[in-house]
Amino acid sequence: MLFSSIPFLFYFLPAVLILYFLVPTKLKNAVLLLFSLVFYAWGEPKYVFLMISTICLFFFCGIAIGKAATQKGKKLWLTVSVVISLALLAVFKYADFAVGSVNAALGTSIPLLKLALPIGISFYTFQCLSYTIDVYRGDAAVQRNIISFGAYVSLFPQLIAGPIVRYVDVARELDHRTHSWNDIALGLRRFLVGLCKKILIADRFAVLLNVFRDSSQQSVLFYWMYAIAFMLHIYFDFSGYSDMAIGLGRVFGFHFIENFNYPYMSRSIGEFWRRWHMSLGSWFRDYVYIPLGGNRVKPLRWVFNTLVVWMLTGLWHGAAWNFVVWGLLYAVFLMLEKWGKPIIDRIPDLLRRCYVLLVVMLGFVLFNAVDFTQALSDVKGLFGLNDVPLITKETLYYLRSYAVLFIIGFIGATPHVRNIGCRLENTKFGAFLEPVLMIAALLVCTAYLVDGSFSPFLYFRF
Amino acid sequence: MNNQKIRAIGAGVLVVLWIALTAVSWFAPPKDISEAERRPLKQFPTTNATTLLSGKFMKDFEGYTLDQFPLRDSFRKIKALFHYNALQQKDNNGIYIVDGYAAEMEYPMDKASVERAMGQYNKVYELYLKNSNTKIYNTVVPDKGYYLAKENGYLSLDYDAMFSLVRSKTPWAAWTDIADCLALEDYYYTDTHWRQEKILKVANRLLAAMNAPPAQAADFTAKPMERPFYGVYYGQAALPMEPETMYLMHSNVIDGCTVYDHTTKKTTPVYNPAMLTDKDQYNIYLNGPQSLLTVTNPNATTDRELLIFRDSFGSSLAPLLLQSYKSVTLVDIRYIQPEFLGKFIEFNDQDVLFMYSALVLNKKLI
Repeated sequence: MLFSSIPFLFYFLPAVLILYFLVPTKLKNAVLLLFSLVFYAWGEPKYVFLMISTICLFFFCGIAIGKAATQKGKKLWLTVSVVISLALLAVFKYADFAVGSVNAALGTSIPLLKLALPIGISFYTFQCLSYTIDVYRGDAAVQRNIISFGAYVSLFPQLIAGPIVRYVDVARELDHRTHSWNDIALGLRRFLVGLCKKILIADRFAVLLNVFRDSSQQSVLFYWMYAIAFMLHIYFDFSGYSDMAIGLGRVFGFHFIENFNYPYMSRSIGEFWRRWHMSLGSWFRDYVYIPLGGNRVKPLRWVFNTLVVWMLTGLWHGAAWNFVVWGLLYAVFLMLEKWGKPIIDRIPDLLRRCYVLLVVMLGFVLFNAVDFTQALSDVKGLFGLNDVPLITKETLYYLRSYAVLFIIGFIGATPHVRNIGCRLENTKFGAFLEPVLMIAALLVCTAYLVDGSFSPFLYFRF
Repeated sequence: MNNQKIRAIGAGVLVVLWIALTAVSWFAPPKDISEAERRPLKQFPTTNATTLLSGKFMKDFEGYTLDQFPLRDSFRKIKALFHYNALQQKDNNGIYIVDGYAAEMEYPMDKASVERAMGQYNKVYELYLKNSNTKIYNTVVPDKGYYLAKENGYLSLDYDAMFSLVRSKTPWAAWTDIADCLALEDYYYTDTHWRQEKILKVANRLLAAMNAPPAQAADFTAKPMERPFYGVYYGQAALPMEPETMYLMHSNVIDGCTVYDHTTKKTTPVYNPAMLTDKDQYNIYLNGPQSLLTVTNPNATTDRELLIFRDSFGSSLAPLLLQSYKSVTLVDIRYIQPEFLGKFIEFNDQDVLFMYSALVLNKKLI
């Protein structure tokens, strides 16, 4: 089920809110678990059983790690949980990619599994893994209530597109959380901000992206519009989803970590990744990069560690070679930035921001291509190497039609709107404006949903 | 009143609004049709293990909730207003409005679709016309975009390329260009169609091409219909637009003709009173989309027969061609396969006119 859908906004959410706040505290997690499973089954009726099995397996692994008398025993159960999660990802996400690559390289014809990718599998397996690792390390206590653990893994606000919430971050709130009108009001406000980002900005750019792909009159300008529109689309889509998840979490008394911090304002690629999908970056840092030795190793080993982490980051986003190359591209820029730091530090901020935006844009062109041929064609198109005209009648039309949306996107990707909001927060005008904008947001977003068709989230399949 | 109170009241209004929309969504009885969109609305889907496990129920339920959402048309209006005014998007769902005229942005030309339509034309020619003593004519009805799009910066079909393609694929037909007989004012504001009372010039251009005497304006009386006319774009655009008045061109010849429907085997007048209450008012012209009709004219001045392959544009034009023909047969090859035509029509010595609109040719409808 999508947050940005009528069934969610006017059927599921009201139902879960009514029941959640009606039942006594000890039943609240059960309500969350039940509705989260319904939420998941709505999109994946058959794979809900896979999710229930995963919850049970990791719950028992956690118990086993806690009960194991020796370090060796703990390690064994941790290994079991790691193998389970990797096996899940290997079978459902990477098997066909691996088989296809072998077939292409060796000319074999090993049949593909052709299994549908369970929604959110990359998110919930990573959450489960973080739980067993943290229990093994002694950073988290064993969860002995399977309802609470199930609610943590399947919690619908962040189930299918993050942020990746670590068990330690919500362990206390799982069993002892409080609810307040203030949290509910702030949560709903955050949810509506995310809904607007998704429906009014990201989905509008999605239309332009489709127009570009279907166009028979592409031009250099159109390629640039496409690349910039995709940057804005993916940012508003994903950060909008995170806003909705964080907002809903707050309504239910959870305080999830932030996932985005105006990444397009970054002055280096390193900074970009500290601002973009922060929960994934910190997950790889804490559970892969640092265990590999991090940067406190010899230079060659550090290069190896960096390449491994970024190859895995690429693969996490999708089982295809363009995602691997996309990840490695960042690894290369991160290494160059580390080695060239004294020079980069002397470059003016504006130029550094332009450099980040250009690298990120080219990266996303690669990310969004169906294969390398299309990626190469898109990059060539950007630089006029595709035998397409500089501009066409069609490009001009869409430039005019989307000009305001591009401006909204550019401004919205900076902290200016937030800063204005903060300044107005304690004024009378701000007190009037806020509810008016929230009501307008609900009405306009609903209007788009009623008028529009199905528009899935980009990060649904990761 | 302090800021916290103002915020609390605002939040309260938001929650009440949300609850109200939820309650109406849950408990309001479902509607059957949408007048504005001219289509049946989806109903609550079938619930059983198969539909639940396959995900069909969920998909159908989403469609049901969208179709049955309270104040659906008002919400569509809010969306259209926001889309045009706040986001400054130039079209809404492919519909744009300039100087009060709503039009569909048909773009680009779908060469394969036009060629497919011409393939059907050629099938008719090869099966029936090639060795008959018929005189064949061809034209394409330009849509509103022809007169509206380019001047206002909207995208439109490459009409020259389309007309040229049609001509090249039908070398056996005499081409007649009618685009210069029309102007934007000859079309309805809220509909895709032309106005019957404004197309006498088109009728005479075609009659001249077919060596038939012209229709005289003095012979016709334009009578307004009582019901206000809401065209197809009225619902699609979802913007505030005024309804229009539709006129029917009457004459002694037209009023004396009878129309035989080969499918229903019923005979009606040219303007069938039974169609006055039809959802699509344009269906008043020769009963709307029908596969095969024959109009018999007892007051004809000649023994000539005319065969028209046409869409709804042809249905409103045909009455203006009647006076020169003893019978006019109207065929729509969207609804009847050319292979079956021989069972109903004897192809001999007729004038044959192919006239479909650019929109139909471009939308893979033939």
